[in-house]
Amino acid sequence: MTTLDSERTQVTSTPTAGPWRTAWRDLRRNKVAMGSLVVLVLVILVCIAAPLYASAIAHTDAFTSNVNGTITINGQTISVLETSSEGLGLGVNPIGPTWTNQYFLGADNQGRDVAARILYGGRNSLVIGFTSALLCCFLAGIVGIVSGFFGKGVDAVLSRGLDVLWAFPVYLLAICLSIVLINSTIAVGPVRLTSGSLWLPILIIGIIYVPYVARPVRGQVISLREREFVQAAIGSGAPDLRLLRREILPNVLPTLIVFLPLMTAINMLTEAALSFLSIGVQPPDASWGTIVNDGVGLLYTRPWVAIAPGIMLAITAVALNLLGDGVRESLDPKAKLRGAA
Amino acid sequence: MWRFAGKRALAAVLVLFAISVLVFLIFFATPGSDPAARIAGRNASQETLDQVRASFGFDRPIWIQYGLMMRHLFIDRDLTSFVNRGAQVIPQVTQAIPVTLSLVFGAALIWVLLALVMGVWATAARGTAIDPIILILGVIGVSLPVFWLGEVVNLITQSRLHDSIFAWVPPLGYVPLSDGVGPWALHLLFPWLTLAVLYAGIYARVLRSEMVQSMNEDYVRMARAKGIGETRVLLRHSLRTSLISVVTLFGLDFGALIGGAALLTEVVFGLQGVGKLTYDSLTNFDLPVILACVLYASFFVVFANFLVDLLYAWLDPRVRSV
Amino acid sequence: MNRRVLATVGLTTSALVLAACSSGGGSSTSSSAAATSAGASAVPSGSASVGASGDVPAFQPEHQGGTLTLLAKAAAGTLDPKVNYTLQFWQLYQATYDGLTSFKKVNGADSFTVVPDLATAIPEATNGGKTYVFTLRPGIKFSDGTDLTTDDVVASFQRIFKVSSPTAGSFYNGIVGADACLKTPASCTLDGGVVGDKAAGTVTINLTAPDPEFLYKLSVPHAAINPKNAPEKDAGNVPIPGTGAYMFKSYDPNTSLVMVRNPNFKEWARDAQPQGYPDEIDYKFGQTVEAAVTAVENNQANWLFDPPPADRLAEIGSKFASQVHVNPLTAYWYMPMNVNIPPFNNIKARQAVNWAIDRNAMVKLYGGDKLAQPVCTILPPGFPGYEESCQYTTPAGTTWQGADLAKAKQLVQESGTAGQEVAIVVSDDEVNKAMGEYMQSVLTQIGYKASVKPISGNIQFTYIQNSKNKVQISVTQWYQDYPAASDFLNVLLGCASFVPNSDSSINMAGFCDKGLQAKMDEALKTEQTSFDEANKMWAAIDKEMMTASPQAPIFTPKLIDFLSKDTGNYQFSKQFYMLVDQLWVK
Repeated sequence: MTTLDSERTQVTSTPTAGPWRTAWRDLRRNKVAMGSLVVLVLVILVCIAAPLYASAIAHTDAFTSNVNGTITINGQTISVLETSSEGLGLGVNPIGPTWTNQYFLGADNQGRDVAARILYGGRNSLVIGFTSALLCCFLAGIVGIVSGFFGKGVDAVLSRGLDVLWAFPVYLLAICLSIVLINSTIAVGPVRLTSGSLWLPILIIGIIYVPYVARPVRGQVISLREREFVQAAIGSGAPDLRLLRREILPNVLPTLIVFLPLMTAINMLTEAALSFLSIGVQPPDASWGTIVNDGVGLLYTRPWVAIAPGIMLAITAVALNLLGDGVRESLDPKAKLRGAA
Repeated sequence: MWRFAGKRALAAVLVLFAISVLVFLIFFATPGSDPAARIAGRNASQETLDQVRASFGFDRPIWIQYGLMMRHLFIDRDLTSFVNRGAQVIPQVTQAIPVTLSLVFGAALIWVLLALVMGVWATAARGTAIDPIILILGVIGVSLPVFWLGEVVNLITQSRLHDSIFAWVPPLGYVPLSDGVGPWALHLLFPWLTLAVLYAGIYARVLRSEMVQSMNEDYVRMARAKGIGETRVLLRHSLRTSLISVVTLFGLDFGALIGGAALLTEVVFGLQGVGKLTYDSLTNFDLPVILACVLYASFFVVFANFLVDLLYAWLDPRVRSV
Repeated sequence: MNRRVLATVGLTTSALVLAACSSGGGSSTSSSAAATSAGASAVPSGSASVGASGDVPAFQPEHQGGTLTLLAKAAAGTLDPKVNYTLQFWQLYQATYDGLTSFKKVNGADSFTVVPDLATAIPEATNGGKTYVFTLRPGIKFSDGTDLTTDDVVASFQRIFKVSSPTAGSFYNGIVGADACLKTPASCTLDGGVVGDKAAGTVTINLTAPDPEFLYKLSVPHAAINPKNAPEKDAGNVPIPGTGAYMFKSYDPNTSLVMVRNPNFKEWARDAQPQGYPDEIDYKFGQTVEAAVTAVENNQANWLFDPPPADRLAEIGSKFASQVHVNPLTAYWYMPMNVNIPPFNNIKARQAVNWAIDRNAMVKLYGGDKLAQPVCTILPPGFPGYEESCQYTTPAGTTWQGADLAKAKQLVQESGTAGQEVAIVVSDDEVNKAMGEYMQSVLTQIGYKASVKPISGNIQFTYIQNSKNKVQISVTQWYQDYPAASDFLNVLLGCASFVPNSDSSINMAGFCDKGLQAKMDEALKTEQTSFDEANKMWAAIDKEMMTASPQAPIFTPKLIDFLSKDTGNYQFSKQFYMLVDQLWVK
């Protein structure tokens, strides 16, 4: 009797965990994913703390030009932008990394503290990169699923729309917008967009990359549609919406989760190109992309100005990708059933 | 099959038409786009401006200008540039095509091979440390801004280490295939690698995740249950269906690249391809060249997607003709 | 000189560099300087005079031969010498085309001297200074083998109007019959204006009024002599035969321009058109400027046209110092302020900007004090009419020493414009953008809500001229055409140069002061009799302009020429800069 009792207690005492709970538990066990999460949170915190760094540690204003400024290192006063003294004395170079609290990574060509700007820049990059990637994956998911599932006319129209979008000359539009927005603003619903508004790059980048995610999703949905279990569900008269939600979406979601961090990285770089064309982050504001743009002009003398934001970009992208992988795996029900893998 | 092709051809024409109209509208909506003052010369008199405007037809209504430009581009085939007077646009594009094709084909070969190797290896090694390491390397490649990477490559191979390790690197520029495969490939080596680094990571990542997913599918488990070795399972069964996403992406990227999306790579390495032509025409606001380049690019985007759709049927036998 | 700017803007025929004329005031309808003055000679006193030959060094045959490789980021538009208005190609036209007269092709100050070229001698102007009779040199052939005759000369002058040359209305509107040609260019005959006498071998040019600068105008490429069968519209990429030591063999604006020796050339006047050294000149387009600097360093090319980027200057100034040549230019960088819209329609606001700019900082952004020198006047140092003065410096003096931010802030407050939004429109190349960003900081500090708007360099120049675009303040440059003060003052700030709602309105500030205009007209008239007198008047006008402050002059630039180590015989002409065909590659 005791064994039966204990069995019964064993069976009833463990509460059944819901699917989200299970997923979170699996994620926690994934060391790589957890590590990435920590790194991401650190990056975000550090960027949020940018004003603190700028005032308390670096004692600098990251946005005002400091062309004639000086700093004191080891008792010596040197100019932040020093005229070359070798040979003919041509050229002016910003100081390189001091590895101290002031001008830790050196100065940029306006004499501003690069490290402080990278922290401020991270805010803009993260916001633009992630929001546009989210927008992109969301729209692409809808378009890809609808297009792939319903096929025929709907697919034809949507796919050709995606073609126009992918072939669209974005740079031309950006140049046009940048000149139009010199004197005027564009109204999108209740929002007024100026050339410095972050919504511009978010919308532009989010929309132009929709084909890049939608077409693979569409391809997946097409092949899913032909599978037995889906055919069976269609045959049994299940309504489309439920089919989409029950059978198609869970199989497509992992793909979207894989694309989200990838697109974040790609979008942060595209934002740099748009800023170069005067759309989005405008001087004196910064983003990792604009600091890289500035840094390319200093590559031969002060390579750190371009390398440092690139490193931040890479770290963020890698962490997002590893985390994304972990999330995908923990959400994948079949993964729990696998054996040797 | 032919009906399918026919329908797609018609759709392609519509896409190209839509794009050409959009380009036209955007150009003329831009303040300061009127090329007359730039063509006429600095500080030209107002009469000269008016004469230039009339000789180019800028004073006519916009739809007439559109019609004329389309006619010159497609029927008469003698469309001339706004910036380089009398320079025909179509020869400029056709001269640039082999350069871009050389760049893109070589880079695509490299990145596809690289992605296959990385993706398959990562899948085989999942659960070990190698998997995330491959992923990290790939994502770092994606995170590198291409212009920066190109300039760094030039800094190292042409400037800093040019006298020592990289003395064999030829000066920047394009050498046609007719001058010999060796010089052609040598001039393109670093542009290929630079471009490939950007894409290899994306493809490896997507491929790996598709393959890992497919490892849990029934048909794979069945194959394993049948006793087929892991490698064969990987390569024969899992890889093929996982290629759908990769092929789709490849169609998008390859189509865009042939059309000139590699413009920053071409600029950095001094290759006069379609991308550079597009870039120059955008900074100069040279509408005829912009139009020609954009339409050329759009054609390839549409064509590449068409080929990819055809490939779906072959890749996944369960898919009937789309 | 910042040829970066030229490279970006110089793609079209409307590039920078060479300013419009002096006496024409930049518009064909302006009352030209031509107030008649008895006895005005072709050689105004005090100007760069007509000189004899002899300063050009003798030809050294051991250095003859080889191929010269030049690099530029981009080509400069049309190859037609009557239309192209860029320094990049004017530098090449010296070797390929000749006018009746030309600037001496020599190193140094003498390069402003006008010498006879296709004419045998420089004639004295007769008929009250309105008629010149040139005798054409016999025996000169074009590069296509045809002989040069008076018919070609007449046709060339007609062609200036037929192809709508940018200076047709500003330089050559003083020729009799020009008015009709400007109205209907296609049927231009210049009847009575340019008359050829084939038998005597002379060409007579009749002006409507004496023009002290007419010889200069004959010496620029727009007045080069082309064969009479040259096309009647812009020839574009098709080379037109010329009489120079070299000829254009091929031109593809996307890849390269090739010049080879003119097989029909025999040196007739060494100071006007000297024999050249290289056998072939390859001008390659398309590489980035960074790549071009590396190529010259690696001895893969001989010279690059564009100014070296900021991060290579220290390197080439130290490691390659012996291959670098730095020369001052008669040019300046400045910020025009729109005097017709807020906030700069208020004179205190404009003066505040002049007080606030730290010109040393701008010099640093350009590349350091070896490459630029702060200025507070519109006329550049060394220019006729220049007098050193600075109204906006602290401590006070005649040269600029420091900005006064406090005073600037005070002026902004007094003007009542504090807190207004100001957009600074700049070119999007590295240097201009850096200056724009710096100015954004400065204007914010003195009390405005400033933002910087970089736009494509090829559009910026025409964009800031058009009053429709309501540009408040911008950064731009101005270079001389030839040494005449009116070239700067009357062209940039004369009433006739302001055309509302036009892309061609070089008076970007929109400044028109009747009193100052009258003074400028007076100075132009005085040039007929005495350049020295006129220059004193120009100096006074400059000072008055600076008080009214429609512009904020920043600095005057210097030009860097970076040659590869195997290139020799660098010669710098103040008019057309480096003499390309005199370089040695052997």
